[in-house]
Amino acid sequence: MSRARKTRGGRSRAQPAGRPPKPSGWRARLTPAVIRRVEAEIADRLAKVPNRLNEYGYDPWGLDLEVLKRSMIPSVLAYRYWFRVKTTGIENLPAGRALVVGNHAGQVAIDGMMVGTAMILEADPPRIARGMGEYWLPTIPWFNVFMHRVGGVVGTPKNCVDLLHNEEAVMVFPEGVRGMNKLFWQRYQLQRFGLGFMRLAIETRSPVVPVAVVGSEEQAIAIANLMPIARLLNMPAFPITPTWPLLGPLGAIPMPVRYHIQFGKPMVFDGDPDDEDEAIQRKVDQVKHAISTMIADQRSRRKNIFF
Amino acid sequence: MYQIDLRKKAFEDVFRKEQPSVVVHLAFIRHCRAAPEVRHEVNVLGTKRVMEFCQKHGVKQFVILSSHYVYGALPENPYFLDEDAPLNASRTYPEIRDLVESDALATGFLWKYPEIHSVVIRPVNILGYYVHSAIGTYLKIRRVPTMIGFDPMMQFIHEEDVTEAIAIAIEKRIRGVFNVVGPGAVPLGVAIHETGGKTLPMPEPLARFAIGQAFKYGLYPFPPGAIDFIKYPCTLDGSRFVKETGFSPLFGLREIFASVTR
Repeated sequence: MSRARKTRGGRSRAQPAGRPPKPSGWRARLTPAVIRRVEAEIADRLAKVPNRLNEYGYDPWGLDLEVLKRSMIPSVLAYRYWFRVKTTGIENLPAGRALVVGNHAGQVAIDGMMVGTAMILEADPPRIARGMGEYWLPTIPWFNVFMHRVGGVVGTPKNCVDLLHNEEAVMVFPEGVRGMNKLFWQRYQLQRFGLGFMRLAIETRSPVVPVAVVGSEEQAIAIANLMPIARLLNMPAFPITPTWPLLGPLGAIPMPVRYHIQFGKPMVFDGDPDDEDEAIQRKVDQVKHAISTMIADQRSRRKNIFF
Repeated sequence: MYQIDLRKKAFEDVFRKEQPSVVVHLAFIRHCRAAPEVRHEVNVLGTKRVMEFCQKHGVKQFVILSSHYVYGALPENPYFLDEDAPLNASRTYPEIRDLVESDALATGFLWKYPEIHSVVIRPVNILGYYVHSAIGTYLKIRRVPTMIGFDPMMQFIHEEDVTEAIAIAIEKRIRGVFNVVGPGAVPLGVAIHETGGKTLPMPEPLARFAIGQAFKYGLYPFPPGAIDFIKYPCTLDGSRFVKETGFSPLFGLREIFASVTR
């Protein structure tokens, strides 16, 4: 009876004014409301991002907002319900070009994912973080396409400079795998920072925005790193945690710690981008100091890892 | 209108008779079906002779049409390769080594004879109704072979815009090496779809073997070295040419794809 009354689109009566139209089709009906809400929020935020896409919807580095929208659904769900991220200082993110520099941890680059999600969900205007990847990432099938469609590029200096000249926000983790794969007793100790990002910041006159991520260290507690196995499997590292590889693939899921992300005030550096390493190191140390201060502040205020 | 083999002696006679003031060198064998020695001879020796005669017979402007292929398609390529980027094509695609060599010869000629306004133009993938380009041949294959899991960004330019770029280079009397870039970049899959083709995704190890064999027996126009160009990007930064000439492509991406007829 009620089926006969439904129109072809599945809508049975006009919606009251002001409410979003109820989606039609079996796929939409099977999607839980929370996902539909997240989808709508992502679409709304991405529509506000200032970017230059061509008539087919791509930017010169391969960014595709349609792919980004879909891929963000699990990130936003993780952001809201698994890691329950608390972001502060997002107003410090300037419009226009910026180098977002953070501490790296957690065995898998989820901190990058969470910082990027924070920049889309909470910044005004929303910014798509352009991640800098390793040189061998484009050789991986499927992943190389995905990485470019969601805004990542290979971390060559030319790519970084071109992105900054295009007023993008580039996200870098100067500790690299040194930070990501460190063991649990080195947590929150900032490892050596690569100096390249500072030279590019000076050359392009881009503000450096320090970001402190607290929580990533505890998501995967690494008690050992078996390099021989890593080399055998052609991976950068092979961490051993209480859950991995003991519990198999399920053990790779990070623990539901609470993330605290704090964006610091943008720091502008001038000088000679070709200066000696010592001069650049002094500037990098200022950024390291800003990050470690924020980390200490967040940790002292944190009462519990999970809540 | 002369139709002469540029390796022959009669070629120099044309210079003597016509005394050209501008020479545009487009005479390259760009397909891989010719014997490699013949191809190398025509492309490298031919270019050398053209430039030699230009210098000998008082040519004032010399334009050579190189290609974006000379940069090579590597996984770590930045997305805006500028004219100073190294020419890495021969690393994985030895068959187009002659294009790299003739480009290098032309660049050397540019610096050696500054009184001649020489221009090396490196355009991106050229598509159009009349042009027989490698990318055009590729896109017109009925089931276009692609590598599973790879979809690189590619730039395209219409044949008329390339002609316009050459004309503008002559008109403005510029000299130097210039990338000439079209209206934008799209992934390869989009280009194949927009030109009415269907993809034939192949896993790479199988593809390299199959393509190698097919090329050897003349069934497929491209050697396995070309596979890198359908995996990794080779996109250029055309801002130097734009700054020097004010060039702006007339044909957008949709028109470019519409001009490809099967």
